[in-house]
Order: sequence, then C-alpha cells, then structure tokens
Amino acid sequence: MKLKFALSLSALVFAGTLFAAPQVGQAAPAFNLTDSKGQSHSLADFAGKTVVLEWTNHDCPFVVKHYSGNMQGLQKQFGTDDVVWLTVISSAPGKQGHVTPAKADELTSSRNATPDAVLFDETGVTGKAYDAKTTPHMYVIDQKGVLQYMGGIDSIPSAKVGDIAKATPYFSNALTAVLAGNPADPAVTKPYGCSIKY
Amino acid sequence: MTLFLRLFFSAVLLLLATGFVQAQTSGWVKASHLKAELVSDHQDLKPGQTFKLALHFIPDDHWHTYWQNPGDSGLATSIDWTLPDGVTAGAIQWPAPMAIAVPPLVNYGFEGPTILVSELTVPANYKNSQLLIKAKVDWLVCKEVCIPAEASFELNLPVTQTAIEARDYKQLFEQASQKQPKPVSLQGRYDVQNQKFSAVVQMPEDLKVSAFFVSAPELVDHAAPQEIEWVDGELLLRQQKNTYFSQAPARFELVLNTVAGPVLLHLQHEGVPVSSELSLASFSLLDWLGMLLLAALGGLILNLMPCVFPVLSLKALSLANGQNSTPQIKAEALWYSAGVIISFVLLAAVLLVFRAAGQAAGWGFQLQNPLIVGLLAYLLFILGLSLSGVMQLGMGWMNSGQQLTQKQGHKGSFFTGVLAVVVASPCTAPFMGTALGYAATQPALAALAIFAALGLGMALPFLLLAWWPGFAAVLPKPGLWMEKLKQWLAYPLYLSAVWLLWVYGRQQGLDALALALVGLVLVGAACWLWGQQQLQQAGKVSSLIALLLVAGSVALLWYPQPVAQKITKTDHAEAWSEQRLKQLVQEGKPVLVNMTADWCITCLVNERVALNTDSSKAAMALYNLTYLKGDWTNKDPAISAYLRQFQRDGVPLYVVYWPGQPPEILPQILTPDSLRQALEQLSSKQPLITSQ
Repeated sequence: MKLKFALSLSALVFAGTLFAAPQVGQAAPAFNLTDSKGQSHSLADFAGKTVVLEWTNHDCPFVVKHYSGNMQGLQKQFGTDDVVWLTVISSAPGKQGHVTPAKADELTSSRNATPDAVLFDETGVTGKAYDAKTTPHMYVIDQKGVLQYMGGIDSIPSAKVGDIAKATPYFSNALTAVLAGNPADPAVTKPYGCSIKY
Repeated sequence: MTLFLRLFFSAVLLLLATGFVQAQTSGWVKASHLKAELVSDHQDLKPGQTFKLALHFIPDDHWHTYWQNPGDSGLATSIDWTLPDGVTAGAIQWPAPMAIAVPPLVNYGFEGPTILVSELTVPANYKNSQLLIKAKVDWLVCKEVCIPAEASFELNLPVTQTAIEARDYKQLFEQASQKQPKPVSLQGRYDVQNQKFSAVVQMPEDLKVSAFFVSAPELVDHAAPQEIEWVDGELLLRQQKNTYFSQAPARFELVLNTVAGPVLLHLQHEGVPVSSELSLASFSLLDWLGMLLLAALGGLILNLMPCVFPVLSLKALSLANGQNSTPQIKAEALWYSAGVIISFVLLAAVLLVFRAAGQAAGWGFQLQNPLIVGLLAYLLFILGLSLSGVMQLGMGWMNSGQQLTQKQGHKGSFFTGVLAVVVASPCTAPFMGTALGYAATQPALAALAIFAALGLGMALPFLLLAWWPGFAAVLPKPGLWMEKLKQWLAYPLYLSAVWLLWVYGRQQGLDALALALVGLVLVGAACWLWGQQQLQQAGKVSSLIALLLVAGSVALLWYPQPVAQKITKTDHAEAWSEQRLKQLVQEGKPVLVNMTADWCITCLVNERVALNTDSSKAAMALYNLTYLKGDWTNKDPAISAYLRQFQRDGVPLYVVYWPGQPPEILPQILTPDSLRQALEQLSSKQPLITSQ
C-alpha cells in the first residue's frame, strides 16, 4: 500500500515536471519577485485583481517599437484599480538588458511608463515557469489567478512602429475580454521579439 | 586631339564597364553588423524568361539572420518586391537552416555569408527595354542583441532578344544552390497530440537523419530534444510541441539533415478525420457528374422493373385515352415527373437526416459493426426472395396508392409518380445500391442531386411520351419477360448477401458465420410463410411463426462468439474484442490493449518505436502477455465505448491488465522502455496481492 502510494506520488511529481508549460485556463505559475523599490510581490497578493505581466528589455528594438507610445498607452488605458500591471525583467546579471533598480526607475520615468511595479527575475525562474521567450511577451491572469492570455502584443511581428496601427492588438483585445468576464480569443498567440537573455 | 579622343573613349568604355557591372548588382548596402547586396544571375534578360535574384548577406562574425521559421525568437527575413506590370517573383528559396542555441531558447537561422534566392519571371509580351526591380528588405540580425534593419535595393536590367548570363556571379548562384536543401519526393505525414509533434516519413533507405527543421512556426518546442528514428523504411520524428501552438497547418516544409546533406520535403497534416471534412474532401466534380449520369440511367432502367412497369403502362394508357390535347398531356407528364423526383429527393433527405444523426451518435455509414453487416445480409436475402417470387413486397402500399392514382388531373399524376417510387423500392436495390453508397458519403446537396437524377431518369419515358407520342410504339409491352427479368435480378442480390456474410465471417469467426447462416435459413422459412399468407393459404398462426423466425435469426447475430478472432497484419498482435479481453482477464492472463487508428500518427510512431521492437516483443514473451490491438480507424462503436471507460475520446490508448491489479494505463507517448518498465513494476507488485 505504502509502495503504491509512493509510486503514485512520484508519478505525480514526474507528471508535474513534465507539463510545467503554462496553460491558458489553468492556474498561472506562482511567483515571488522583488521590484525596483525593494518591495516583494507574489501572485497571491493580487487575488481579486486582473494581473498583466509584461516581459521587457529596454534595448530590444521590439520593445523600443512598442515604447514609442503604444505600451504607455495600454498602461494608461488599463491603469485602473482592477488591473495590476507588472513589468518583468528576466535578463541575468551581466547579460544584455539587465539593469539596476535605479536605472529601471529612471527608464520608467523617462519613458512616461506607468506600470504598478517593475520586477526583477535575475534567476530566470519565473520567466521559465511562464515559458516567456521574447521581449515583449504578454500575459493576462484573471481575478482567480487563472492564466487567460499568453503571447504577442499584436499580430505583426516586426520592429517597425508603423506596423502597430495595422496589426490586430491581440493583447489589448484579450485584456478587454477578460475584464468583461469573457475568454480571450485568441488566447494563445505567437510571441515575437528579442530572446530573453536568461 | 587624338590623345583627347582616346582618353574620351577609354572614359566612355570605363563608364560602360562600371555600368555593366552595376546592372547585375545593386551594390553593397552597409547596415549595422551586416552588409547586403541584391544580385542578378543575368546581365541581359529576354521576354518570357525566368531568372534568379540573390539577396546576399554578409554579417559580422557570429551574427546571424533568420530562417522562415525563426524559432523561439527572431524574425524571418522578408522581401517586398516592386516590379513592372506582369513581372512576378516567387517565394524565397531558403538555404538549409542551422539551430542556433540561445539557452534556454533555440533559433533557426544562418551564420556567415547567406544567399537568399528568389525566382522572377518576365512575361513573354514584355515591351520595355529595361526592367527596374525594387526590393524592400526587412531583416533582423542578432548576436546577443538584435538589430532590425530595413533597406531598399534597386536593379535595372536591360531586356533584349538574347538573354546573357552574368558570369561574374555564376559562382555565387552555384554556392546558393549548394546550400539549399535538395528536394526529395518522400511522403510524410504529421500530427500534434498529447504535447507531442509526431511525424512519419516513408523513407525506403536510411538517410541517417541527424536533425530536422519544421518550417511552421510555433509548432515544436525548438529547444526540446528531437527524437529521430529510422525503422523498416519509415523515418519517425518526435518533439515536444510548442507552448504557443494553436493550429496545425495543413502542409509545411520539412528540412532533414542527412548523411548526404540537407533534403527538403513536405509534411501533410493528418488528424482525426472530421465527418464534414471527410465528405467534402472526397467530393470530385467529375466523379459527381459521372454518378449523376449513372443515376439517371439507373432510374430509366427502373421502369423495366415489374413493380413499376404496370404503373407506367397504366399511366401511358390513361394518357392515350384521356383528352388528346397535347398541353394537357404535357402537364400531366410534368406532374408525374415532379411526383417521382420529389419522392426520391425526400428519400435522400431522410437518408441525410439519418446520416447526420448517426454521425452525431458516433457511428458512421460503415461496415464496422458486425450486427449491421449481418442485418444487411438478411435484408438483401429477403429482397432477393421477393424478386424470386417467394413473396411479394409492397403489395399493401401498392393498393393504397392505387386509389390516389385513379384521381383525375394533376393530383392523380403527381401521386402516380409517388406511387411508382414507392412500389419500386423493393426492386431498386441492385441499381440504387451504388448511387446510394456514393451519395451517403457526399455533401448534402450533391447527394440530393444524385437522387433527383435517379428520379429524372425514372420519369424520362413519360416526358418522352408526352412530347413524342410515337414513342409509345417503341415501348415494350408488359408480359412474361418482365417476370423473368425480375427473377434474374434476384441473383445479384443473393451474391451481395454472400459477400456481406463473408465480411461478417471475417469479423466474427467461423462459428458466428455458421450461426448467421442458420439465421438465413430461418429468414427463408419466414419469407416462405409470408408468401403463403399472401396467397391466402396460411392463417394468422403462420404469420406469428414467421415473426418468431425473423426474431430468432436476428438473435443469432447477437450470440456471443467465444472464438471470434481476427488476425491483423502485425504478427504478434491479436484483434481486440470485448469478449476476448474479458476471457483473457478471467483466465488471469496479463494483457496489453492497444487502441489505434490508421490516421493516428502518434499511434503509428508509438508502435514502431516502442511496441513492435525486439525488446518489447521479448518482454511480452517473458511475461506471457497477450497483445490485443483494436482498430478505431472507422470509429468502431465498441472501441468508442471501451475508450470512454477510461475517460478518453480518442486514440492512442494503452492499457495493461495484470492479474489482481486494476488496469494500468500507459502514457500516450511511449518510449522503448515504457512497456518493459510497466511490466516489471506490475510483476513486482503481484506478490503483495497473492502472497496470502
């Protein structure tokens, strides 16, 4: 009996590691990260709110494309009390895109960005748990902590600002749908951009 | 003066020479970490020709650009052409990519000088003496950081009567074609199921594939290990699917790195067949027109059936006897035709409704279910007996319809048409069978049209009669020959019944076949009694006996067949059946159940990699395991029910039964060790249960 229990337990653990990839409709991976002010945040803190995760790397041309106004616009548009916008930097220390907390704050103010916090994921554990691949890379987590959207910010994978207006705004549509209590459609799209420098 | 002239000419020559060279290349465009030029393989073009342009990239050391599927990040190079009217450009002919690891991600792209070739075609009626090519190119060049760039290239090529190749760049184009994967005519299929991409490529000779590249983005997890195996003429590929996978493309390119260099082929998607897709896919206009013609011909021949011909002659007679005004006759003929055609279309509509209901319930129109096969054999036998004259089918209908036809006018004509169809039904099987079978698998409208054509064919003699009264002289007179014809037509039906019984025997075994044949005798007896009753030579009791006999014959088809076995292609697998499984489990034997389908690529790969291997066969022999294989290709309902027991609605499903243990489900993706490990585990558990 004990043996059987141990076996099924190990099978469970094994299955857990096998299907670590995040899935829309499932609980979003938990995280606990420190922000640029030294404050720590975990996903559980935001129960009851819709959480946006935005992976970023300020030098990446795809990020620069969207920080030409689009990203700031989205942050303002959805910057209500119901939405928590978390910008995540997963660049490892010494790797391109890694910044100090002071630099992160400076970037936020110089770019007129309004995220609720900029989180550091130096170990890359959170980025890998979310299977975050590119910058930018967007996630929407609903009030119950269920992942509702993951993928690109829009439909045209390019570094050209001019394409933003022509693209279908997947992320914005998804967040609007989730806030209205509807499922995102599409809920999974191709993330595009620079690779995250884990 | 002469010196000046000479200088002038050399200057002109020099200019010409440079102009000459420049015409074949756009010249280098220098961007950050990469320089690029656009080059033509021809210095002079002629109308109607195809020529090549190469986009030549030379990045700095260790900087790379991307393939059509850039992998986890990155961006494929794209070219936006601006060409004179009529000139067309094909897609980029990509060189074979390489995997560029950026842990934990993997990109697909190119390092070092890279040549992207496109083929352009000049229309035959091209009039201008120059051809101006403009290309706007977007690329992303990365090392650790990425730099997107956009550059414009221009080439102006002369168009003359003779095409001249650009010798200076011959080598560049040769290099380009060397770096491209060689197209090979290998057939490949793939599917994405249970977190895995699986593909099977028919490959008679082992090309020692070391890596593969799928052109579809967000299909595979590019950084996951690739499983590559060649077994018995088939290359099997597996890789974890991409987290951002959303839809399986119908077809995409696959590049294989082989011992003979990279090769290119296409993979076709193969998933669970969806009923509407299946029928629409099999729809071919030519076939359909052919079937329309056949159906019309079949309808025409129906008029010769003894069950129809009296109606026809009756009507022909009433036409001839009635008012002789031609418009009146024509109108009646049209009403009769309408009656026939509408009846057939209604019949088809009923068939389609049944089909839809059947598919919704999970059983298609197929000969998978032995019970249906047996019942069909009985039905054909009964129809045959009817044609042979043992009894008459449809006598009751004929009488009730007769009254309607005797009504005068349009209504009477219309219902004569309906009646003709109704009474024809027992005789139609041999003719309608093919059309019916075809229509059952067609899109609804095509099926309805087939039946309308059948009706039109049947009504045709009447229409002819109305427009050309002389046609009546050509019509054969009803007589004994019709009865003979009818009796002859019984034999194709008997033969069809024999064929169905053979199918039944294959499915259920010899004993079951013998029982079905006993059932057939009972059906024969019942029909004979029925015929006696029709001739008023038998009473109510014999009708009751006839009914009991029919019930008994059907019951015989339900009789469980203890020795029902079907040997399938794979030598060490036995066909699955509920009874066989139950029997083995009761006998306390270990069993492996494998539910599979021909269209399930995952299943095929699993079998090749993990089940039909020497080590798995040895493990089966060691543990005295019986291997039962169920084929769900046509969604056999018995297998569907079995799958539901395990909360599954699809294949593959692998279940190991070990005496004294609950059934153990193996993972849907098997590794070569899966079976052996499961058996080792189960056998080591056994003492816990049986040590008492």
